[in-house]
Amino acid sequence: MLIPDGSRIYKIDKIIHQKLEELLSNNDQVGIDQWLVENDLQSLGQIDDNPVTDPPLTSISLAIAQKCNLGCSYCYAQEGGFGVKAKNMPLEKAIAAVDLLFAQNHTAHRMNIAFLGGEPLANREALQTVTRYARERADAELKKINFSITTNGTLLTMDDADFFEQYGFSVTVSLDGIGELHDRLRPYKSGKGSYERIIRNVEPLLAMQKNMQVSARVTVTPGNLHLKETLDELIRLGFHSVGFSPMLSSPGGNDEMDSVSLEKMLENMINCGQEFEKNLVAGKRYPFSNMSTALKEIHRGTHRPYPCGAGAGYLGVSASGELAACHRFVENREGYFGNLTEGIDRSIQQAWLTERHVHRQEPCKNCWARYLCGGGCHHEVINRGRPACDYIRGWLHYVLQAYTRILDRRPDFFYPEQ
Amino acid sequence: MKKTSSIEPKNLTAQLHYRGEGNPPSTHPSTAVSNCYPGLEMDFRNVWKHVFEGIELLEYSNLVIGVDPGANEKIQRLISTGIQYELISVDGIPMTAPVTGPFRHAPEMIHDTMALEWSNALAEVLPKAGQFVLCKFQNSNNLREIISMELKVCHFFDVDLNRNGKVVNQRVVIAREMASPGDLTQSLCSPWQNDYRECDCFYWAASRPDFVNVEPGKDGKSKGNNWMQKDRTGTADKKYISDAEDGVRGNPVLVSYQDLFAAWEENLRYIIAGKDVPLNNPLKKVKTGVKKKSK
Repeated sequence: MLIPDGSRIYKIDKIIHQKLEELLSNNDQVGIDQWLVENDLQSLGQIDDNPVTDPPLTSISLAIAQKCNLGCSYCYAQEGGFGVKAKNMPLEKAIAAVDLLFAQNHTAHRMNIAFLGGEPLANREALQTVTRYARERADAELKKINFSITTNGTLLTMDDADFFEQYGFSVTVSLDGIGELHDRLRPYKSGKGSYERIIRNVEPLLAMQKNMQVSARVTVTPGNLHLKETLDELIRLGFHSVGFSPMLSSPGGNDEMDSVSLEKMLENMINCGQEFEKNLVAGKRYPFSNMSTALKEIHRGTHRPYPCGAGAGYLGVSASGELAACHRFVENREGYFGNLTEGIDRSIQQAWLTERHVHRQEPCKNCWARYLCGGGCHHEVINRGRPACDYIRGWLHYVLQAYTRILDRRPDFFYPEQ
Repeated sequence: MKKTSSIEPKNLTAQLHYRGEGNPPSTHPSTAVSNCYPGLEMDFRNVWKHVFEGIELLEYSNLVIGVDPGANEKIQRLISTGIQYELISVDGIPMTAPVTGPFRHAPEMIHDTMALEWSNALAEVLPKAGQFVLCKFQNSNNLREIISMELKVCHFFDVDLNRNGKVVNQRVVIAREMASPGDLTQSLCSPWQNDYRECDCFYWAASRPDFVNVEPGKDGKSKGNNWMQKDRTGTADKKYISDAEDGVRGNPVLVSYQDLFAAWEENLRYIIAGKDVPLNNPLKKVKTGVKKKSK
């Protein structure tokens, strides 16, 4: 039994199961409320209608290079330039963004800087300089700071490897499949395939990851739905973890997932999940990150009124120094949040957090998965709506069942070594 | 025969909010009446006394007040010599902070060191449960003497360990090694006796007056009376007198502990419209000066 309020999970016997089925099938809300009170499971009011107010800033992404050498059809950055002239973020803007993060961090003690783009390694010098600056400030002020980068992998060098290892980066490499499958979706602008070059570049990083972690992110389109083959091969190569994300909204609608594809994706994700369970019970590592992340969130009972920290604890910064709700809203007025000179526009932030609260979303406010999902990626929802609700519910339904199995057989999964 | 519950909480939020059959609301801090510092139902501070294996700390400061009888000689030394030792740092994290400011009734600035509250001070240390961390103890009378030793951090929550000491499962209840039965209730507030009169954080002032007959002055200061004083006429000098004036509890100008034990209802009465209710007419209607709204 899942009670959405507080994301609470209980094991129940057959008698209670029958009783609840009866109440639910009769839509007996009064009966349900009464039963909850009788069993001391009543609403905790964990999430009310009030938006988050004055959140400390804990995380920023820097579009350190608004340009890219690849021509992926579905790219939210429209092949790197966000629809405007390609440019790099000047160093002084990157430093100013870090200063904003420190100034707005308030009582929080952890910070994260993500380097995105475009292809962030196209502006390597600024990336490295601002990393050093941020680390020095954090050390001096006794704060913890983490760094991450999402890269297409084509420009990776051994120097980058040493640098990421030194600063403990989380490195995410975008890979959509193996060989030709990847090449079809993520070619160079010339049309040439990029897979071979990426694997050649990334192999040394995979071998040396100790401080850094190198993961793979797979964007799923109707053309690359055979997920398990991709997952198995990327794990074999040595990626620390592999995650899948459905392409729901692209400029121009290229390669977006439809309902048939989403159904197929769900089938494949469950297939990967079952492989995860098999390996876990056998004591083997199978780093399917969608599964391990969902399991850990479910175990903690994460319940959220928003799908992510966008516009709250997390902001994106464009090369020209404008603030955005997240990295996907760079150069997009719909997600404009202020600029580095004037700071965060608090009235825009307050309006965003009020309007985007899951209680105000349709059909979310009546959905049992609302506090696990949070309403879906803001950028996708604003541009396309919510085509993936059945997929999200289907996936969560499977993971919730898997959770109870894993909690019984391998509870130590939830308590990894520190 | 006791009914077995057929609803079993599985994940952490379900466990956290679960109330065992027969347990009253006060067994959860969120539904208890009071604070828990020390509070009416449990004194949460007592959880920290045994956070390091081998020693016992004072719950409200960093003083070492006991050691396990079976502990090694170095640990025993923290008590055996009669010298008081204070825990000043754990794993490089300070357990104290410098404080500067005027002290009560002493207008000059003083510079001192205060022990930090344990929940915050140890937040970064608790994830190292089961591991040894470097602890430094300072002689209270000779600040130059520092003793260092590695102590094991106890598990805060009730855990299952494998043979290698690795956590393989955990529940949200507090571990026995942190708080045995009786530990959390051994030092509670006693509201209708001592604490109503002497609560140092004026928690009880939330439900009773404290500073009354107040006259704000032009210099930003105020004059008034302590509600606990015996003279209820309102004609006494407007001077706030507290027990701490002469550092001794029991200033004769104020209602005493004995007065409260014997007859608290007579000595401290209900307040209506800012006045003590007269003893002979406890609930007589009093004009409040508030006009009814006309329809």
